[in-house]
Amino acid sequence: MRGLKSAVRYARLLLPLLAAALLSGCNVAIDTPQNTFAPVGEVARDQRHLFFLAMWPAVVILVLVWGALLFALVRYRHRPGNPPPRQVHGHQTLEIAWTLAPLALLLGLAGPMIGMIIEQADRPSPEENPLQVRVIGQQWVWRFQYPQYTDSQGRPLEMVGRGTEPAELHLPPNRKIDLAIESIDVIHSFWAPRLGGKMDAIPGRVNHLWLVAEQPGEYGGQCAEFCGLAHADMRMRVIVHDSQESFDAWAREQLARQGQQAAR
Amino acid sequence: MAQTTFDGSPVGVLEALRQLRRQAASYQGIWSWIATVDHKRIGIMYGITAFLFFLAGGVEALAIRLQLARPGAQVLDQEVYNQMFTMHGTTMIFLVVMPLSAAFFNLIVPLQIGARDVAFPRLNAFSYWTFLMGGIFLYSSIFFGGAPNGGWFGYAPLTEKAFNPGHGIDFWALGLQILGISSLASGFNFIVTILNMRAPGMSLLRMPVFTWMTLVTSFLIIFAMPVLAVGLFELSFDRLFGANFFNPLKGGTPLLWQHLFWLFGHPEVYILILPAMGIVSEVLPTFARKPLFGYPFVVFSGIAIAFMSFGVWVHHMYTTGLGPVANSAFGVSTILIAVPTGVKIFNWLGTLWGGDIRFKTPLLFALGFITMFVVGGLTGVTHSMVPSDYQQQDTYYVVAHFHQVLFGGAIFALFAGIYYWFPKFTGKLLDERLGQLHFWLMLIGFNVTFQPMMILGLLGMPRRIQTYPTGMGWDLWNMIATVGAFLIALSVLVFIINVIITARRGQRAGADPWDGRTLEWSIPSPVPPYNFARIPLVRARDDFWHQKYREDEAGRPIPVVAGGAHQEHEEEHAQHIHMPSPSFFPLIAAMGFPIIAYGFVLADYALVAAGAVVLLFGIYGWALEPASE
Repeated sequence: MRGLKSAVRYARLLLPLLAAALLSGCNVAIDTPQNTFAPVGEVARDQRHLFFLAMWPAVVILVLVWGALLFALVRYRHRPGNPPPRQVHGHQTLEIAWTLAPLALLLGLAGPMIGMIIEQADRPSPEENPLQVRVIGQQWVWRFQYPQYTDSQGRPLEMVGRGTEPAELHLPPNRKIDLAIESIDVIHSFWAPRLGGKMDAIPGRVNHLWLVAEQPGEYGGQCAEFCGLAHADMRMRVIVHDSQESFDAWAREQLARQGQQAAR
Repeated sequence: MAQTTFDGSPVGVLEALRQLRRQAASYQGIWSWIATVDHKRIGIMYGITAFLFFLAGGVEALAIRLQLARPGAQVLDQEVYNQMFTMHGTTMIFLVVMPLSAAFFNLIVPLQIGARDVAFPRLNAFSYWTFLMGGIFLYSSIFFGGAPNGGWFGYAPLTEKAFNPGHGIDFWALGLQILGISSLASGFNFIVTILNMRAPGMSLLRMPVFTWMTLVTSFLIIFAMPVLAVGLFELSFDRLFGANFFNPLKGGTPLLWQHLFWLFGHPEVYILILPAMGIVSEVLPTFARKPLFGYPFVVFSGIAIAFMSFGVWVHHMYTTGLGPVANSAFGVSTILIAVPTGVKIFNWLGTLWGGDIRFKTPLLFALGFITMFVVGGLTGVTHSMVPSDYQQQDTYYVVAHFHQVLFGGAIFALFAGIYYWFPKFTGKLLDERLGQLHFWLMLIGFNVTFQPMMILGLLGMPRRIQTYPTGMGWDLWNMIATVGAFLIALSVLVFIINVIITARRGQRAGADPWDGRTLEWSIPSPVPPYNFARIPLVRARDDFWHQKYREDEAGRPIPVVAGGAHQEHEEEHAQHIHMPSPSFFPLIAAMGFPIIAYGFVLADYALVAAGAVVLLFGIYGWALEPASE
């Protein structure tokens, strides 16, 4: 039993430390660049909602199972003089109950899940006037092209990362973004967590993803599929403008700069 | 030794081997281990080898955690870091959990079914040696320009020659191929053993649950490993001979690799966890002194899991853009696999309920399995929800989830098995106090390591990144996780000390130290080479328990006088038992594989031919030598 006692002693030292860590962690953690719990758009918000829809029942089940286990361990622990336990082999009604109840609960989750899969797979229609962005993954930078914004030679506005300097993805607020995601070498994955979940960039095919940014600001994002040596450096800055006008102004300025660089 | 007749000719070699073989039959000295076909010795070798790889994989994990402890650290550079996490994953799955399970198959199954050995003892030795050769081959990549660096999942086209010109991936692909041969041989062996070698009276539904889970796992192995073999062959053809299976520029499809890999990869998860569930299903009844609650439901849910495991692979590919129909269908199938898993957990609770629970170390580890595995299962439900998984895919949330299942689950259960069956094969009980210290340290270390990873994943930290900038809210959690990893290392150290101390002056265990229920406890510890002096006649599930106890009207056990006692004259009877002879040919045949594989890696086809000759020599010698003499 000395093992148990020393473990308790360690736990006593460790627990306040953990609690302090948890509290301080929670205080600063909300507005971090890639926090999936701090969505700034519809897609990420719906996904967080679905996560909680599965998580809260899971927490309840966890507490019930752990509670039942703890109860059984305390109540039925060996004590000298215990009569030998009755040799119970099973209980058919119980078996059926604990097969069907989780089945019903889980199938209940399937409805909202499938609804959201279909909704999020639905590309924005032209009437919704989405901003088109072509996302190209390459080892180890992102390349963002805006085919609706072209310079005098007809080339699209383009933002590329250089070395470890991340590419900037500029977006207008409250407008559906229609991303076409591809890769020129290996598999990458486009991920801007505060806007929504990820979509892989796979050579030889074009994947589609739509997002909305509702809150102006700067957020983080990075490649989420291991893509070789400098995978960790394949980051992006997501910059959501205050208004469509300020986004347009930025795009004009950027196009002009792009024209000058091409002329040089 | 055999030098007197050795003249270098093939006939001389064979004659020398024959003489060594006779010496090896004496159960004395190193040659008797190398030539052994005894399932118990093979099981022990599997266990020790897998444990050494566990230490290697653990050191790799510590290196990874040191690198990630602080933002912007430079403990490992990018290349070495990528090699580390590739080898950590590959090692823990193929060289630790699978062979540790194989160790238990070997040690326990023949004893639980009342057999004297497995169906094909030499094939069993061949499985072990092939596993060892595969592991050594894989790790020898370090001396040929660096270990594999494409992740344990080896996604094409990153693993294609164009993006990965070194030898590492070739070592990985061919090494897994060798390990696959080992697993397949052992899978077939145990299926035949369990179906054909059961003692009279042991019907399928009287089989212990661990044996049942071995049978189910063996079927999973023989159906899942060939799928991986196909994928690896295609990858090797792309790399070595310029085929274009996964090369999109020539019309190949990168996603084909992912389908093949995960069609193997998800059953693989259950190959890792079902044996662990089997162990837990043995340990709980023994220490609660009650039969397993709902035995047929536990068995059939294991079978259901095995079937369903072939229908969920796309949940590793939700973000590859397969479209809403595929994602919905596989979302639902993934949700459903939680049902049989839940049934098992509820039945384990039912087993403890109303028992007379004695908190010995094996039970503690089994309880650790249940508490941690429930968390793993429930987090699994959260990312079976497809759109939610778009966020969690490839983040530390997933890393936390599968360590919850494979460490909190499989490794804890395997330690439960080690503490439980150690006395059966060594005749000594592992020290209880050190065992309990090991358990608590490991449980605390595990939680300190992996629960922060859940938060990290939800805070947006992807997997497999060598470093991260500060200001992401990840610094603290990473530091805590690293501290936890060293607590786990400490707990493993306690275990090693425990084994050493026990070997020196451990408490002697009788045949039946835990008041066990199944046949392995009815024979002496350590187990004699022939296992059972007389093949038992099985009259019930938990047969040995029923030899020791009868039940009164209320269903309470009453000891039977001298029930289950070992009979003295059995030793005498044992002298007439005919056991299979040792053989060197399984080892020789197994040595052919790495030679062939080195030949392919180095494009030296003379070496390939030499390896083939070794392999053929081993197989012919094996076929032509009498099984016993």
